[in-house]
Amino acid sequence: MNAAVNSALNASPSNASVAELIAAVQRADSSQGLLMATQALVRAGDPAAAPTLVEVLGFNNPGAAVTAVDGLIALGPAAVEPLLQLDPENYGARAWAVRALAGIGDVRGLDLLVDALGGDVAASVRRAAAKGLGSLRLSELPANEQARIQSCCLEALLAASRDGEWVVRYAVVVGLEGLAEGLTANTSALAALRHGLAQLQEPSADNPPVVQHRALLALERLPSP
Amino acid sequence: MLSSGEGAPISEDEALARLRQTADPSQQYYGAWWLGRMRSTHPDAVPLLQQALRQRRPRDVGAGVEENAVARNAARALGKLDPAARVAIPDLLATLNDDDDGLREAAARALGELRATEAVASLCARLASGPSGAGAQRSDSPRLVEPCEALLEALGDIGVASAEVVAVVEPFTAHERPLIRSAAARALLQLSGEARWSSVLVELLEHPQLQVRRAALMDLGAAGWRPALEPIARTLAENSLKLIALRGLVEQGQGEPEIPALLACMDSLL
Repeated sequence: MNAAVNSALNASPSNASVAELIAAVQRADSSQGLLMATQALVRAGDPAAAPTLVEVLGFNNPGAAVTAVDGLIALGPAAVEPLLQLDPENYGARAWAVRALAGIGDVRGLDLLVDALGGDVAASVRRAAAKGLGSLRLSELPANEQARIQSCCLEALLAASRDGEWVVRYAVVVGLEGLAEGLTANTSALAALRHGLAQLQEPSADNPPVVQHRALLALERLPSP
Repeated sequence: MLSSGEGAPISEDEALARLRQTADPSQQYYGAWWLGRMRSTHPDAVPLLQQALRQRRPRDVGAGVEENAVARNAARALGKLDPAARVAIPDLLATLNDDDDGLREAAARALGELRATEAVASLCARLASGPSGAGAQRSDSPRLVEPCEALLEALGDIGVASAEVVAVVEPFTAHERPLIRSAAARALLQLSGEARWSSVLVELLEHPQLQVRRAALMDLGAAGWRPALEPIARTLAENSLKLIALRGLVEQGQGEPEIPALLACMDSLL
């Protein structure tokens, strides 16, 4: 670790300015140094850190990326714009960004989550997107806008209920369960959602018991028709 | 191209045709993989795989192709075609005595997946010389004399808990390599259900090497050891692997913690 990182890390959070903490991340010259500098920047909890935390997603350092994702989720809506500005060609960073957006639950991430669930090559990314589509925060939006977004999420999740990977289908169940909470008044959407869960609860050679268990649990938790 | 990844989608007929022809081994390799991956139930699948299991071909170093690549993939595919592939158990047993240890490894795994009780005596015989014999490092490579990990795991999966099997497996819990200790503890946990073997695996969840932590996760999952829920959740490893391990706890395990607690933990790892 170099001297700049050391001095930034040794300073108490109130003394180290966000600019210093950002500089420490950018100057980190080892894997461990980057991790510690990222942790320090996350602890500051300052929205100005968001663009730098997004940069860390592209550094090919899983430990630091996990920390940065947690930090971005904690920053919430303030982290969304920098995440959406990521270069779509930077695949590794984008996979982490999907996880961050799924955790934040901001509707501006909708298109990216739908794309990721339908087309990302990595099951770990599709699974995060599926969970995220069930936990978007919609309560502040007008009712018609809520309904439009919910129907987008429902369509994407139902399409992904045929995903070839069990873990993605498991996440689809969790996403559908989350989505149902906001659908109490929409009987036709709820019926489609219930039908999707019922299919995932069916025993079949390609559908392992763990997915069936989770789908049954989700069905039990749905409001009765 | 010799790829076991996703190629362009092909039909079952196409996969069978690729395996049936013998001019291009790379096409046979892909056909064999496809039939296993898609769990083909076509009546020609198992006979063609049995035939492919007899194909021998030296390693092609330049192309990065393993020795007996088609036969290895045929063995792997047969392991996935239970119950149709049970007729191939004698072929796999014969393959357990092949000179190629990579092929022996694939055959052992397939016999484990097929729960072939007929294989127990042969698997035990391969391991009987213990950590200093079967488990010794070869003079010409970092590999062990026998593919111990696969042999031990197969004995655990088959599940014949006789005193003889336990006596063969137990010395490997003291092997110098943590991956072998993990495989032995997994097998003993499956065979005996005794908690002392789970503690070997739970300790390995904190091993400094990621590769060892990953193996211990998979082994606790395969044994379905539910009391390991908390240590699994805490392990420094990818969520993808923890999810696979927890799926094992749900599907292979019993007792406390109950399924809803396991599912809640899985939800938090998505």
